[in-house]
Amino acid sequence: MTKLELEDIQGYIIRGYAHMMYSRFVYIKITNRKAAKKWLAKSWASMTTAVHVHDKSKISSTHLNIAFTHNGLGALGMYEENLNAFSREFRQGMITPHRTRLLGDSGNSDPIMWNWGNENIKTQNPEITDQEDKTIHLCLMIFGNDKGSVDDIEKDKIVCLDYYKELESQFEENGLKELFFIDGVTQPENKEHFGFRDGISQPIIEGSGRVGSKDDVVKAGEFLFGYQNEFGVYPDTPLVVKDQGNLNFLASDAGGSGLKDIGRNGSFLVMRQLEQDVNGFWTFMNEKTKHPDGTINVEESLKLGAKIVGRWQSGAPITLFPDKDPGVISDINDFGYSKFDPDGLKCPFGSHLRRSNPRDSVDDHGVKESLKLSKQHRIIRRARLYGQVFEGSPTNKNPKGEVGLLFACFNADISRQFEFLQYTWGKLPKVKELYNDPDPIIGVKENPEPGEKQNFTIQDCPVNRTISDLPRFITVKGGGYFFFPSISTLRYLATI
Amino acid sequence: MRQNSITTIVPVKKDKIELLLKLLDGIKTDLDLGNPPEFEKLNVIHYARWVVIDYGKSWIDDLTPRIPKLVFVVDFDGDVDVFLKSFCSDTSDILDKVYGFCEGFPEGEKRTPESRFSFLKNNVVKDAAVYIGAPGRTVQQIKDENNLRNFIRNYLDSRDWKDVSAHTIHKKIKEEVLKKEEFLFLRKKTKMPGINWLGLVFLGLVLIVLLPLIIVWLLIVHFFYERKDVNFTKKRSGLDSAYLDELEKYEDWKNQNQFTQLVDMKEGKVRLITIKAMFALSKELIKFVFVQGKLMGIPTIHFAKWVMFEDNSRVLFFSNFDGSWQQYLGDFIDNSGWGLTGIFSNTKVFPKTNFLLTGGAYDEEHFLAWSRNSELITNVWYSAYPDLSIKNVNNNTKIRVQLMKSLSERKAAKFLKLI
Repeated sequence: MTKLELEDIQGYIIRGYAHMMYSRFVYIKITNRKAAKKWLAKSWASMTTAVHVHDKSKISSTHLNIAFTHNGLGALGMYEENLNAFSREFRQGMITPHRTRLLGDSGNSDPIMWNWGNENIKTQNPEITDQEDKTIHLCLMIFGNDKGSVDDIEKDKIVCLDYYKELESQFEENGLKELFFIDGVTQPENKEHFGFRDGISQPIIEGSGRVGSKDDVVKAGEFLFGYQNEFGVYPDTPLVVKDQGNLNFLASDAGGSGLKDIGRNGSFLVMRQLEQDVNGFWTFMNEKTKHPDGTINVEESLKLGAKIVGRWQSGAPITLFPDKDPGVISDINDFGYSKFDPDGLKCPFGSHLRRSNPRDSVDDHGVKESLKLSKQHRIIRRARLYGQVFEGSPTNKNPKGEVGLLFACFNADISRQFEFLQYTWGKLPKVKELYNDPDPIIGVKENPEPGEKQNFTIQDCPVNRTISDLPRFITVKGGGYFFFPSISTLRYLATI
Repeated sequence: MRQNSITTIVPVKKDKIELLLKLLDGIKTDLDLGNPPEFEKLNVIHYARWVVIDYGKSWIDDLTPRIPKLVFVVDFDGDVDVFLKSFCSDTSDILDKVYGFCEGFPEGEKRTPESRFSFLKNNVVKDAAVYIGAPGRTVQQIKDENNLRNFIRNYLDSRDWKDVSAHTIHKKIKEEVLKKEEFLFLRKKTKMPGINWLGLVFLGLVLIVLLPLIIVWLLIVHFFYERKDVNFTKKRSGLDSAYLDELEKYEDWKNQNQFTQLVDMKEGKVRLITIKAMFALSKELIKFVFVQGKLMGIPTIHFAKWVMFEDNSRVLFFSNFDGSWQQYLGDFIDNSGWGLTGIFSNTKVFPKTNFLLTGGAYDEEHFLAWSRNSELITNVWYSAYPDLSIKNVNNNTKIRVQLMKSLSERKAAKFLKLI
């Protein structure tokens, strides 16, 4: 069995740092290449690794990880030839016309409307001078936890921001310029703004030392370069095709090309800032389930919400608890659809979770084949909330100001993993036997074509029911594809 | 009614290639704007495409000088000659425009339905194998059955069915539907094609008898051919990005997509015999087994076909399918890797294979890269029902068939699940 080199892997891909309730994602531009490389040459040692610390008291109160954009690697001075060795998705970023089509980023989610991540569109404008160039080069992920308290966001915030200030004070001398930051928090019950417990089902990387259901154990090469993936081949890792820097830091390509591997023990990190329309979400659920006299039917509204999401607000899977929310916070994750719910009578085929991770029930395939196909499209999710910490419900749906999710996920093949989930299983309205049903959370178009229907079908007895005219509940506000390097690649980057 | 398919390949007149490309681009733009070519009015064409080949760089660095050619592929209902005749008389405008740029097309007053007909007929290339996801269904039938399904769906949504038995609901739907003139077609009986088990058993027996020969053959291929192959070793990151940009301009606008691929045969009789045997096997399987919407386990293909041309030295593959090819292809490797490897390993610069059993299509990263790399731009692509998946098409027929039967409570409940 594969054994991972945990000391060389940045920690955030293996662990979600859920106990560190406050985090700051700082997006940075490199203004001085030399200074930035000098900084890298020593700061790699500050990066949190995936090594498991058994004694909890010895876990650091702050964590730090780093990821680069393609522009960022260029800003460090990586040769064109080596930059081109990265996968095309990463090279191009999230905002090419074709990719925008796949991801469904149109209307108010059109990259042109984004707050960040669309600099490439903007810099094509000749009127923008170098000084205004806000191209993101790297992202520092800073986490804090007050060790004297439990689940106290405010105290964690102090620790996180103290650490941030310490780092920030050296940005200038290190050739870094902060462009902006987004603060991400977790909520004690890990609920997102619509009020649903999130992040329950995560793939476990084979060899990471973590334990769980064998259906969740996925080959390391699905997430980390340098290891075999679910197809038994090595992922398309970036290799040094033109010698540059101190190659002794890098291992050789496991694929046997004889070239040095920049990717090994690293991954791609997808980030999307998704604004959530809490009011829109619950107003829609309320409207579709209201009593004949027009008043809100809370129970039915919650149930429709659960059907659309695939779990109750507590996190309990609707597949196992079809009638009502058991109420207690749930982490139940060891279940399949083929045995408990082959016809979608409990968890509809079109629900967000069933289509994003169909487990043992992909289209009309058998259990074994389905599990295999599901594993070919898993991602490791690392979402954090931004804006007011707010727990939506049918009767509580008006947060103060903008709220949303700073969605992040790790994968080695952006096309076959993140983009596949977003397009093939999310945006296309044809999964299973469905006709006009996009993913109700991530696949609905804000402005459908004339005559185009956007439905959610609830499989039921004696007949299926149609929930029609789904509106879009999320708006993309920014995003990008990042390279999440290994510790040794960080050291290497300091030498290029 | 039976579906047929033809492919024509004709050389483009010297110096006319740019004009032709411009014309095709105009037809495509019109299509994108919702103005389909005039042949749509025939109401028998499922899919059609024009593809210009041998214009631009060869991806295998083939140095053979080649004349640009125009490939036309059309999948339609009914007899070939009947179709071609109406195509050449009722929709001749577009034909004249396009083929005016091609060698051998009748000029001026010589352009008559008959001369166009014989021009196309003379340039037809034989199919190596054709797959149809919904065999027997005409364009009209597919549209009718979809209207039927939508009507039933709306009818079910129009009222509450609590405590009504499935049997009663089925009966009510039937009554409601049969009141409508637009559903008179239901009087015509139809059924879903079934797997021909007898044929399959016979095919199995033939294969068993041939097994010793097949084994010897694999050994020959391995020791005398595979080891000398030039293999495809690029990963997706190493492909020509500008070319992929170009391909992507034509993709993912609708729920359906097209794929056109051109590859060259490896030299020698052994490779030719192997690919021909694979096509023969595919044809039999398509006839006996792949009749219910899945080609080698791939559940998203409407029409697909292979043709060999220029003295069996080259292979074209065409597919009309649901979803995104590059995203989906990986999902088919498990089920159809043997078939894809068996066929395409006989073409030049394919990912390395072993005994035609391992490597090849199973080598995911290289296979995906190879597939993308050998893809061509499909200049014009027409689909008669771009909003339907092949699963929808087949499901609609099932609904129709079950609707017209008298069903028990249990079967009626099953019927209602389809809607």
